[in-house]
This record gives sequence, structure tokens and C-alpha cells, in this order.
Amino acid sequence: MRPIVEFTRVTREYGSRIALDDVCLRLEPGELTFLVGPSGAGKTTLLKLINREIRPTSGEVWVDGIPAHRLKTHRVSDLRRRVGVVFQDFKLLPRLTTIENVALALQVGDLRISDGEAMDRALDALEAVGLGDRGKAFPHQLSGGQQQRVAVARAVVAQPPLLIADEPTGNLDLDTAWEMMDLFRDIAAWGTSVLIATHNVEIVTRLQRRVVTLVQGRLVRDQPAGAIGRMAWLASS
Amino acid sequence: MAGILVKARFPRRRLVQIVIANLFRYLFRGAARNWARNISSTAPALGSMALLLVLLGLVGLTGIALYNLDQVESGQASILHVYISDGADPAGVAALRERLSSDPRIASIGYTSKAEALQRAQSIPGLPELAGASDSNPFPASFDVQVKKIDDVAAIDAMVRNDIAVDAMYPTSYDRGAYQRIQTVIFGLGVAGFAFLSLLGFVAVTVTINSIRAAIIARRDEVLIMQLVGAPRWMVRGPFVVEGAIAGALAGGLAGLVTFGLAAAGIEAAAGSFNQFAPGITITVAAIVSLVVFGVGLGLGSGSSLISIRRHLES
Repeated sequence: MRPIVEFTRVTREYGSRIALDDVCLRLEPGELTFLVGPSGAGKTTLLKLINREIRPTSGEVWVDGIPAHRLKTHRVSDLRRRVGVVFQDFKLLPRLTTIENVALALQVGDLRISDGEAMDRALDALEAVGLGDRGKAFPHQLSGGQQQRVAVARAVVAQPPLLIADEPTGNLDLDTAWEMMDLFRDIAAWGTSVLIATHNVEIVTRLQRRVVTLVQGRLVRDQPAGAIGRMAWLASS
Repeated sequence: MAGILVKARFPRRRLVQIVIANLFRYLFRGAARNWARNISSTAPALGSMALLLVLLGLVGLTGIALYNLDQVESGQASILHVYISDGADPAGVAALRERLSSDPRIASIGYTSKAEALQRAQSIPGLPELAGASDSNPFPASFDVQVKKIDDVAAIDAMVRNDIAVDAMYPTSYDRGAYQRIQTVIFGLGVAGFAFLSLLGFVAVTVTINSIRAAIIARRDEVLIMQLVGAPRWMVRGPFVVEGAIAGALAGGLAGLVTFGLAAAGIEAAAGSFNQFAPGITITVAAIVSLVVFGVGLGLGSGSSLISIRRHLES
């Protein structure tokens, strides 16, 4: 089966600083993977390479069969419609209601989707994240956890094959963080690959999923699901 | 076998309707809403652009008047008025006409009687008072000689100025260098006008670019989110271009109205003599210039937005 993400000897430099160094990585469809490592290890750089916010200095990045490393600027939107993104700070549009924020992600990708269809599908996505009754609320009227759920609904509403999340629980309390993790598990179970960059030791250890560890830009460990020992993970952080 | 024809709605038509509705919403409605929301920050740019476009319209009208004046002057410069002495012998006048008619350098000869000269003078600003100051008619009869080449006017003047039928004090209308002086002045005004217009254009483009830049900075988060959720480039950039076009169209419309109003007021106020000062400037010409000002505003707004987007909007 074709991997959903494939990095081949990827290096990314910012001036003289090496953010990612000769990284090789494959993510399979439907897999939930944690990306861990200390601050500055290159986690966000790796996610930005997948979403083609930046290009690698050398190496190849393939996302769902698209060569992100040599993608022209005017084709970037094609790639981004195949990648749902969740950020630590939610990044919802404050002037749009919850349901409009979710529907936006559908309609910017496909102008053939009518308002009615977009709203129906957005409502389905909101119901899936437990916010079916908050569709008319604006982001500032929601708690942090609720806003992050809306961001997840927006990321998955177009049913992309890949979801990436950069510290999605960073601004949430532990209970809410666990709720988010349940959501991500469900999304992976539906067949979407999920890659989560996190610092949350508790979650990574208890979920026993695949963990990829970055240290100083190098991929130092790739532990398969079920093989995560708490001390081993802590040693690399 | 009889059948029932069921006419289904053509789905492609519905699809086209949906695409158009979405395009309209993301490009035009969104742009109009953003423009209205940012009116306080865009108003100064709009005012500056409108002012610059008014000046553009007025400079344009002046340019048209100068061009027409140049055409009139070049036509008049090749006409030599040969003034006939009041007491000239009719035979001498006829002989003079015969001499002129037989000259191959001359295209045609007209005749203006004293009465016609007086009548013509009364239509020229300032001269009616002079004409009325005397009991007798001070304006001489003349031969109006159309010379084929403007360079031959001096030679024709030299040929006739000592003729017995010609007025000894003011023999002809020939003024060495007058036409060149007028052309020099008009050329100078043209260069100055072009430089002024270029400066205005530069200022207008800069003002609009800064206004759109401010809009981009104010909505940087929104733009980033649109890009991250996979909005194509035209969907991110389009509303800014439409915003620029809205500002340009409003400024151009306003400036066009002011230009037309000022020109119409000038034509109305100066009535008969306006055509002497600004030849060729009519209500129709003023309306066309106003439409051009509107078009320039629209183009300026859209074009400046495009430049600003290319400079300031990350892809």
C-alpha cells in the first residue's frame, strides 16, 4: 500500500541552523502516530514540510502521492485540501460562526458544494466532535476545548486522508486533552492517518501508539505501537 | 405504447448556479463587506485618490483644449491676412488679387469686407469695446490668403507688403516667430502636464498600494487560515483586488462627477467666449473625459491592489 507520507533523506536548514537532518519517515494510511522531542527538535518543521508551508533544502517529501518538495506555489492548495491541520491556538476565523468556520474548509476546496450541502456536512462534523448544538456560536463564545474541537471538525470535514496536529493539547487541561485524544483515535479508526506533535508524556505513554522521536533535527527513534516504555520516551525528551 | 415524458432539471445548470453563487460570495460579497468594515482606514486613501483623479480630469481637459488650440493656431498661421488700404483704387485691388491668384504657392484666396471684419471682431473677447469706441469702422478689408506651405508665408508677405493697394501702416497679419512661440509654449505646457500627470499617477498608485497593504496586514490571520485550509490563490487574492477595484471605482466615479460638474459650470458661465479660451471643450467631451477618469480610477484601484498583493501577500 502506498504510504500517506514519505520523507526520503529530508534536510531543512534555516540559514546555518539545521532544523531537520537527513530524515526518512513513512506514515501508513489509518495510522495514529505521535511525533515527540524537545523544543527545537524539528517537530513543527516536519509538519510544515508535510503541509508545504516550507520546502526541504534537500530530499523528497511525498504526501498522498503528491511531491510536496517540488510543488509549484499555485498547486499548494491541491495538497492542503488533502491534509487537515489542527493548531495549538485553534486558528478559527473570529467573524464566522462555528458552523461557518467548518463549512468554509469545504467550500474553499470545492466551489461546486452548495451552501445547504456545506452546512449539512459541517453540522455532521460538529456532531461528530460533540458540538452539534453550538453551530451558531462564535469562537469567542466557546471554551478552549470546544474551540479545539471545532478546529478538528474543520480539519476532517472534507475527509482528508491525513490529519496533522501541532501541540493540539498544549492549551487544554488534562481532561479536555484526553477528550481530544479520544477524538483523534476515532478519526484514525475511520481510516484517516493522524500525526500529532506533542510534549504530553502521559498521553503518549498511555495510548501505546507509534512514536517517532526527533532530537536536534535527527530522527533518533521510531517505536511501533504497543512498544512504548515510559522511561524510554522520557529519555529522549 | 404510450409513455410519460418526465422533464428532469439539467443538473449542470444547477451546478453552474452554485459555482457562480460561491464565486460571488467569496470574491465580491466578501470584498464589499471587508471594504465597508475597513472604511475608516480606507477613507483617506479614497479621498486622496479622488482628489488626484479630479486633477487628472482637469489636466486632461486642459490638454485637449491645448491640442485643439495648437491645431487652430497651425491652421491660422498658414493664413495670411493682407489688409487693403481704405482708399485703395479698385483696379489696384483687382490687380493685387490677380497677382496672388497666379502664384503657385497659394492654395486659395478669400475676401473679407470691412463690414465682415467688424462683425468678426465683435465675436472676439475684448474687441467689441474697441469696435464700439469709434463712430467709423476701424477694421480694414482684407484678402485671406491660404498659403500651401507655412514656410512660404514670409515670402508672400514680402511680395505684397509694398503693393499700392495694401495698407501702408498694417500691411499683413504676418508676425515672424509668433507661431513658433505658441508651439514652444504649448510644447512646454504639454511636457509639464505629462510630468504632473506622471507624478499624480505615482502618488495615486502609492496611496492605493499602502491602503491595500494595510488591509492585508489587518487580515493577515484570516489570509493565513484561508491558505492553510486549502483556499486556492485566486480565492485569497481576489477579494483584495475587488476591494481595490471598489475603492478605485468610487474614487473615479466621484472624480468623474466633479470633473464633469466643473467643466459644465465653466461652459455655462463663460457661454459664448468659452470656445475661445478652451476650444473643443463641449459637454460631450467633458462627459467622455469623466468616463475616462472613472475607468482610470477602476484600473488604478485594481492594478495597485495587484501590485500590493504581489509584494505583501505571501503565497
